[in-house]
Amino acid sequence: MTEYLSAALLLAGGFFFFAGTVGLLRFPDVYTRLHALAKADNLGLGCVALGLALQADSVAVALKLLLVWPLALAASACVGYAIARRADALGIRPWRGDGQ
Amino acid sequence: MRRALIGGVVVRAAAFALLWWMLLEGRNDGWGLGAIALAAALLLSLRLSPPGERSLSPTGLAGFVAFFLWHSLQGGVQVAALALRPRARPLPELLEVPLALPPGAPRVLMTTAIGLLPGTLGVCLEGDRLRLHVLDRRLPAVAEAEALQRRIACLFGAAR
Repeated sequence: MTEYLSAALLLAGGFFFFAGTVGLLRFPDVYTRLHALAKADNLGLGCVALGLALQADSVAVALKLLLVWPLALAASACVGYAIARRADALGIRPWRGDGQ
Repeated sequence: MRRALIGGVVVRAAAFALLWWMLLEGRNDGWGLGAIALAAALLLSLRLSPPGERSLSPTGLAGFVAFFLWHSLQGGVQVAALALRPRARPLPELLEVPLALPPGAPRVLMTTAIGLLPGTLGVCLEGDRLRLHVLDRRLPAVAEAEALQRRIACLFGAAR
């Protein structure tokens, strides 16, 4: 049971990483790409960490794997804001999608 | 005051010890270095954020974590759908929301956490106004920001 749940979570994680990367390639400007990376990749990482934690040999290893997620989350949230702020300071105007 | 200080130190030391135990993956051979790391972390944390200065509410924390997990799940699913659907296009816009949160940690948490919620990304925090980039202007970004703000106010124990 745990095996299947773990496999499903790992697959879901891979799917969200894939979707985030597609978004990074497809979306039109820096701001929309940040949305894709911050949200989809973090969900992907959460799924992967949880899936691996389910297979861990001990509680300490499982907790360590789960700890990766909030740390990466905090880092990516801060970096996402830093990049968006810098882009804004440089005067990069967001793509609006309706021919301005 | 003194009791709060001692309590704060004990809780933090226990939390750092737990963290080190996790990093060691439950083995028992790294506690010499661990003692140094623990002391350094404790000193730094007391220096950066003295106990008793700001208190987090436990129920507020539970509410925030639940809200955050659920909404970041939605955010990930939403952006994945937008990226993968062949004809889907984002409809972005910039907007500004006023912040009722006190300056410092609550506003910083708001600014960074909102980037992980569905459809919103913090662009610039200026005083008590936060500029947001919205991925799809048909979605209720302002309501989302309001909800997050209420959660953070509860987390930091502000009566609202």
